Amino acid sequence: MAIECLVLGAGQDVGKSCVIVKINGKSIMFDCGIHTGYQDHRRYPDFSLISANSGDFTDSLSCIIITHFHLDHIGALPYFTQVCGYNGPIYMTYPTKALAPIMLEDYRKLIFEGREEEKQFSSEDIAECMKKVTAVDLKQTIQVDKDLQIRAYYAGHVIGAAMFYAKVGDSAMVYTGDYNMTADRHLGAAQIDRLQLDLVITESTYATSYRDSKYVREREFLKVVHNCVAGGGKVLIPTFALGRAQELCMILDDYWEKTNLKVPIYFSADSFSGLTLQANMYYKILINWTSQKVKDTYTTRNPFDFKNVCSFDRSLIHAPGPCVLFATPAMISGFSLDVFKLWAPDERNLVTLTGYCGSGTIGRKLMVAKPPTRITLDDNVQLDVRCQIYQLSFSPHTDAKGIMDLVKFLSPKHVILVHGEKPKMVKLKEIIESELEIPCYHPANHETLHIPSTRRIEASASDAFLQSCLCPNFKFLKTDPRQDSELDDDSNNKRKMPQLQVCENRVAQGLLITLQKNQSRKVVTENELIDTIGTEIHEEKFAYCCPIYFPNSESRDISSFHLILFGKLSREFPDLNIQDCEDVIRIQSFVGSFCSKAKCPYRTDVSFQSVLDTVHFCCAWSMGDEELAWRVISTMKNLKLSDRIET
Amino acid sequence: MEHRLLADVVSKLGKFPILSPKLTDAALSLITNPFTSDETLTSLLETLVAHLQNPDINHAILFSLLSALSNHHPRLRRRISAAAHAFVLLPTTATPTLPHALSLIEPAEPTPFDPFSDESMFLSLCFWQCVKTRRWTLRNVSKFHVRPSVFLTVLLGLTKDPYPYIREAALDGLVMLSNGGIVVDDRSLIECCYFRSVELLFDAENSVRCSAVRAVSAWGQLLVALSPDKTKADWSDALFVQLCLMVRDREMEIRVAAFSALGNIRTVSEDILMLTLAKKALSGTNEKTFPGQYTAKLFKLPATAAVFIFVNGLEDEFYQVRKSACHAVKKMTVLSAKFAGEVVYILMQILNEDSVVVRLQALQTLHHMAMHDHLKVEESHLDMFFGALVDGNALIRSAARKTIQLTKFQKLAMFRSCIDVLIKNLELCPQDEADVFYALYKIGRSHGKFVTKIIHEVSQELEPSPYGKLGFTKVRTIALLVLAISAPVSLERQISTIRPEIYSYAVTLLGRLTRGLGGLTDQNALLDYLSHCSRFTVGSTSESFGEVLDFHLKDSYFQLQKRSGKISSLFFLCQRNLPPHSCLLNFHVSETTCVEIVFQKIVDLWPLIQLGCMNEVIRTLRSWKEELQFFSLDSRPPAGVLVFALKYLHVIKLLGKAWACYFSKRNLHFNGIGILEALLCKTERRLKEMLHRFTGLSRGVEMHILELMLVTYTLRLPYGGGTIFFEDYTSKVNSVFCRVENLGKEESTQPFPFLIDLQNISHEIGNSRDGFIHKPELLQKSLNLFSLKQIVVSEKLDYLDAEIDVFDNDFQNPLPFISGLPVGIPFDITLHNISLGTRLWLAITDGEKSTQFVFLDLHEFGGCNEIRKSAFVAPFFRTPKVKHFVLKVSVVMECLSEGQHSKHLNGPKQNFIYLSNGKEIHLSTAEK
Repeated sequence: MAIECLVLGAGQDVGKSCVIVKINGKSIMFDCGIHTGYQDHRRYPDFSLISANSGDFTDSLSCIIITHFHLDHIGALPYFTQVCGYNGPIYMTYPTKALAPIMLEDYRKLIFEGREEEKQFSSEDIAECMKKVTAVDLKQTIQVDKDLQIRAYYAGHVIGAAMFYAKVGDSAMVYTGDYNMTADRHLGAAQIDRLQLDLVITESTYATSYRDSKYVREREFLKVVHNCVAGGGKVLIPTFALGRAQELCMILDDYWEKTNLKVPIYFSADSFSGLTLQANMYYKILINWTSQKVKDTYTTRNPFDFKNVCSFDRSLIHAPGPCVLFATPAMISGFSLDVFKLWAPDERNLVTLTGYCGSGTIGRKLMVAKPPTRITLDDNVQLDVRCQIYQLSFSPHTDAKGIMDLVKFLSPKHVILVHGEKPKMVKLKEIIESELEIPCYHPANHETLHIPSTRRIEASASDAFLQSCLCPNFKFLKTDPRQDSELDDDSNNKRKMPQLQVCENRVAQGLLITLQKNQSRKVVTENELIDTIGTEIHEEKFAYCCPIYFPNSESRDISSFHLILFGKLSREFPDLNIQDCEDVIRIQSFVGSFCSKAKCPYRTDVSFQSVLDTVHFCCAWSMGDEELAWRVISTMKNLKLSDRIET
Repeated sequence: MEHRLLADVVSKLGKFPILSPKLTDAALSLITNPFTSDETLTSLLETLVAHLQNPDINHAILFSLLSALSNHHPRLRRRISAAAHAFVLLPTTATPTLPHALSLIEPAEPTPFDPFSDESMFLSLCFWQCVKTRRWTLRNVSKFHVRPSVFLTVLLGLTKDPYPYIREAALDGLVMLSNGGIVVDDRSLIECCYFRSVELLFDAENSVRCSAVRAVSAWGQLLVALSPDKTKADWSDALFVQLCLMVRDREMEIRVAAFSALGNIRTVSEDILMLTLAKKALSGTNEKTFPGQYTAKLFKLPATAAVFIFVNGLEDEFYQVRKSACHAVKKMTVLSAKFAGEVVYILMQILNEDSVVVRLQALQTLHHMAMHDHLKVEESHLDMFFGALVDGNALIRSAARKTIQLTKFQKLAMFRSCIDVLIKNLELCPQDEADVFYALYKIGRSHGKFVTKIIHEVSQELEPSPYGKLGFTKVRTIALLVLAISAPVSLERQISTIRPEIYSYAVTLLGRLTRGLGGLTDQNALLDYLSHCSRFTVGSTSESFGEVLDFHLKDSYFQLQKRSGKISSLFFLCQRNLPPHSCLLNFHVSETTCVEIVFQKIVDLWPLIQLGCMNEVIRTLRSWKEELQFFSLDSRPPAGVLVFALKYLHVIKLLGKAWACYFSKRNLHFNGIGILEALLCKTERRLKEMLHRFTGLSRGVEMHILELMLVTYTLRLPYGGGTIFFEDYTSKVNSVFCRVENLGKEESTQPFPFLIDLQNISHEIGNSRDGFIHKPELLQKSLNLFSLKQIVVSEKLDYLDAEIDVFDNDFQNPLPFISGLPVGIPFDITLHNISLGTRLWLAITDGEKSTQFVFLDLHEFGGCNEIRKSAFVAPFFRTPKVKHFVLKVSVVMECLSEGQHSKHLNGPKQNFIYLSNGKEIHLSTAEK
């Protein structure tokens, strides 16, 4: 059995997240995003790879799972359902279902409006598509069909974002989507159970960066903003309407309250759909999906009721005096670009860039620019940028440590990295493989990976085995202290384990046998094994007929000789239990007795002397006691005269 | 109805011993109905108990009925307990029913056979196939009294159980065992427990992980304690890093548990601590690994697991985690000043928190840091820090003020804004007045220079209104006055140039000020202080207040001398209430100057003692003692001078009491002479100690002590009675005189009048036959010549001291012994300032019967004169025939100069004194 993983988007890239995972015959599409950096067909994932033969997506896929409402995770969904004709089940969380249509509509207007020839899907399509969606709650287990189970876990990142767990038979995996491992002002940290997993597909946006403490980040941001407005400048914060905007609003609102600043903060309402207007309202409703801290304070005050934030009117762009403006979209285009064009030439002003900016966007250009500079807006327009540029380290994505923490916590058998840039992915992959010893992959788009998964075998169990499973049956093992490495001597990755260890037999001990009759499998206990397979025990034994030099052996009887031997052995091996019964000496599995046979098959040295002063002692032992047996034999062979006198 | 139900139950049960649901309900209704008569209940109980013996009945239901009965009617518990007990003892009883029965047994009930001590039953319950039985047993493990080794093996084994709840309960049991002071000296066993718990940190079940965190913490600490000194620190670090791993768990409870476990770790190396605040692993620590477990499969624990954990914890979304992290930080800041310096910024940020508990914890942490002098406040912190002072919550404000009191501000601006915020606090919350005054006073005292500057700036505000009215309605003015008060007693040796008028203004607010400074002084003292300060001109306040006060005192004393014997002036002195002045003083003098002042002033107390104003004297002495003790907190071990001063104060107290007793004859007859005798005995012992336990005493001091000794003897004589006493007295007095003479020879000091007089008298009486007994008036006359002298003690006074310790011994962990055979007791002995020539013995006392001495060979001790240490095993021979007994052990020193012989055989030849407090050692017969 193997898990088959086809990456349609976000393989060594950020944008159009889409991964098809086939576990035990069930295909699941995780995310169905759009690439905002492209205007042509590359904008969508190449769906044709899903069902090369049939062309029927509904049959090929068991379900689609959308992790959150960002366009690079959901943007292509209406196209896939309405244009490509997928008709199967779609799962997403409640907030995602509520907010997705607004995001999609916003995008549709921005891109397709006025370009009828390019139009890919309409408002109706979005509405129709959303009708097919089944909303799920956190930690709610959904039985998609007989074999496939999915479950959502809180992911932080944006409101309603979830990680998804999928299980078919005994193979299980988690697709993280985008997530955040530390709580911010308004959203909590990702929360997931410790699961038995074959595969984790994780985002890796910040595969190599390590973030500072939240307090440091906030302090820096506030300092920059305060300095700007104190100097009479205007602050432009281009941002997504949902997510970062709310967090920054909370920070600023709080700060304004404390320092009693009177500078206006505007939340731009000047968007195509009025998305921003609704955004804050949604946050107020979806308190349950926010961080624990917000939930705690919610009882006294809704933290999304901003006291110092008011909506923006376009006429205010030219208004004199300092202000702070949140404008969509984040990577500076549309409205935020309009404002930017006007404010950028003034050196008192400030543009703060939040989070990730895709390549080719103005945001990305500003990231690398050092004002005063001149940047190219489009083919023939250039803009003087004199304002200050501040890059915020606020991001809803987890950093490298967070990814490592999650992977370590889940400890899956395999890890796949998506949603990141290749060089960074390579580095992270190396760390995961070296530090956690988990095989890790970073497939490119359209690449398929095969990952071995848990093999499931059905077997019946014998009554005795079941019975033995019921009662505790543990024992203690003591390891050799010589193997115990010193505290600082574990450079060669030696396992520093305690000398004493507990071992629970009922969990460990059972034998899986395949019965030849009907190829059925059965688990039995060790005792039952022989009966079940109907054979006899074959034991390997060693034997040696040992000559012992013993002068005047005829004159003595065998029993006195026996006593001498017994005495000698008891002295030599004081810590062994030496049994002496009926002329047979037993030491563990070693058995020895006098051999009167003239032609013993185990006799190797036939000498003339043997007739006179040598007696033969025939020994047999099993493999485990070989070392002991030879020690005993060599002792017997070296029987000295003095030993005899003593006895 | 009641009877019908009962009859129904009884008859049906009699016929068919099956507890049908209907029958159970009927019985239950009888049990729960509060109006059911006692007879009915009793007969129902008896019916049920009778059926316990029936093997066919459903025992689970039967026991649930009995349990209901036991819960609703506590008076029937004994009977039920007895029945359950009998049931447990039945050979036919099946294991699954045992938990039901055992839970009904009253543990306090004395029974000949205690089922909870039955090991085989405990084991059969633990190994029973039913999970519920196992779980019950593990959850009630504390009820059982089986051998610890059995407990440990079973619990350890069950941590491997496939059922998570059993694993959890087994881990909890292990935690309980380690907390219960179980003695495990097998390191491999402890390691096994520790690593098994570590393994379960990676369990899939949250509750198991949570218990595992606690178990790792408990057993890890045992492991650290048991490690040899060389690896102790490494093991402690290993435990720390292992727990750090759990701070990143996705489950809130586990994070909380992990932080509280981290807080319990006593030592962590600084580089690991610094990692917890670092964004990335620092170079150098990258490769460091510890024994432990990193993931379920990796058994190598890199130090990098600790990276950033405290930052993550302090900004966690759950307040429980933040609080727990804050608490852990509190413990860690003591370990490293560097760590404290780094973490302070985050803590300041936390003062902006929404959650009150977290804010409070953060302030407590800051306070703790300030106490250990690890708090460095920077300007950028001030906003947050001062924000807490005007917090809406009174607890937060109070905690913030406590922290501020201990804070040292580097810049005037910072101090100024601190004062402003305190005043704002006062304006906003008038109910905090007393506390704010206190804080102002305290902080003012540690920032004398700044206070003087500020008061100069605002002196205009402090002036009365143009109409000459002393209004002081503004809280700001009053607050500034409090600040002004603090200046003269500033900790800095700073010339205070605050105009005296200001203090006279403050007098008008005496009541309010007293309330605020109540913890430091009382109203009279404050008045005294204020009026004193206000009397001086600008120039003369430049003297430090201490000297001024001292001068002032002397002034009173001169008056006293002039009108000697007149009660009125003494009364005046008493009223002035000496002690609290010194309270105000205590911060601006070093310990030696403080000791000097005490020795200087104690002289003034003698007239009070002579007049019998013992209450006054004792109060004064006590306050001085407190002040001196304040210094002893700082230096460990306390300096010799300080110990000497404390002992001197004690002697004066005893002597004063004895004196008062002696001279109030009526009182003496009434109370009997026992008290006097006891007091004098004690005084004598103390004086002897002072003579022998200090090296470097000047002759003058020694002479004074001898003089005091003579006073003690003289006081004792007339009431001691009998000639035996007289002989004893003469020999003692003579030996003292001998020493005095020797001292006098070596150095020509003027002998004290009392000594001369006493010497004369003893000469005179020595020649006559009837002795002192008939000359009490002569003795009294010479006693009147005695007065306390001002003594000067050199700073290089060494105090001979010894500490005895026996590792891990208390009444719960006795040492084993076999009666009749000698037992070896392992001691750790630390000696301070003992030179090689000293003869030391170990006195081992068995009850009050006998003392056994063991000689201590100082050559076997390591170290130098200042501190010697040795661990050795001393034998104790006469072990009594008892199960349990207690020995009292102390270190004694032979007084070679005493010249008196001790009566102890095989012990010190000379008289000896104790150098240490008696250490109790518990012994108990070794278990077979």
